[in-house]
Amino acid sequence: MNNKTVGPKEGLGFGIIGMGLLLAFLPRAAQQIADLDFVASEPFGILLGATYVIAFLVILSGLAVAFAKFDDEE
Amino acid sequence: MSTEAKAAPRKRSKRLPLTYVIAIVPVAAALNIVGGYINGVLKLPIFLDMIGTMVTAVVLGPWWGALVGAITNIVSSFISGPIGLPFAVVNVAGALVWGYAHSMGWMRKNWSFFLVNILVATVCSIFAVPIYVFIFGGATGHFSDVMTAAFLAMGQNLIVSVFSSNILVSLADKIISGYVGLAIIEALPTNLTETTKLPKSEGLNKIIIPVVGVVVGAAIILIFLALQ
Repeated sequence: MNNKTVGPKEGLGFGIIGMGLLLAFLPRAAQQIADLDFVASEPFGILLGATYVIAFLVILSGLAVAFAKFDDEE
Repeated sequence: MSTEAKAAPRKRSKRLPLTYVIAIVPVAAALNIVGGYINGVLKLPIFLDMIGTMVTAVVLGPWWGALVGAITNIVSSFISGPIGLPFAVVNVAGALVWGYAHSMGWMRKNWSFFLVNILVATVCSIFAVPIYVFIFGGATGHFSDVMTAAFLAMGQNLIVSVFSSNILVSLADKIISGYVGLAIIEALPTNLTETTKLPKSEGLNKIIIPVVGVVVGAAIILIFLALQ
């Protein structure tokens, strides 16, 4: 029987993967958003703003990795 | 058993079977996507795309909730268009606040649970407003655009107008999401929720408390709409 368990450490890892996926999809979305009629922004500006916000969250996740205590590892 | 073992009771492990995570994460993301889709179709003055995020952040932890938030907005950008993708950071931020507030024990009492939902709404608005203003110019086609227009007509500037409309919608949305999430967590198997630190309720209160929370959330938005 497979008794594999997961905890906060794996959660943090997969959360960071989620943000990586977001970054991967952003360039395509930035162009599509810029193509919308009611959006005046350029794709570069959209990408830049979104990247800054995600960068902030990546820094937070780095702090979580640095300071979290994963004392109940398998 | 030795005296030492008796004196120090074994700490409950935060680790969960992988199968639970594999089951909860996609279902929570699907719940968010369906909620957001229903909201879009019915043009409701809320979002309904963070119920699964709340459940995951509380039951599994903040970063699992963040993963659900990211998956939700990536997948819904393929279904409802690219507008939702930049707002993934709002979903991720909401998951982190719910998750860390829960792990710090801030959600044990009914009043503190309510306050945490208000905190989540405020943090989500802080992340959402720059996206609304600088990427979309203040409008995304959501119902809250009507409120933004009303605030603009009162003479407020764009950032204040977007923040005012967004915080009202976000307050109602996060209170509703929080209490619907609480009802879902109450219904999950006990072995999955034994480490949660949520308001304890018995019998009929298990239903009454979430219903009252949802009614309060709905009342906030209805009162504001009536006053406009």
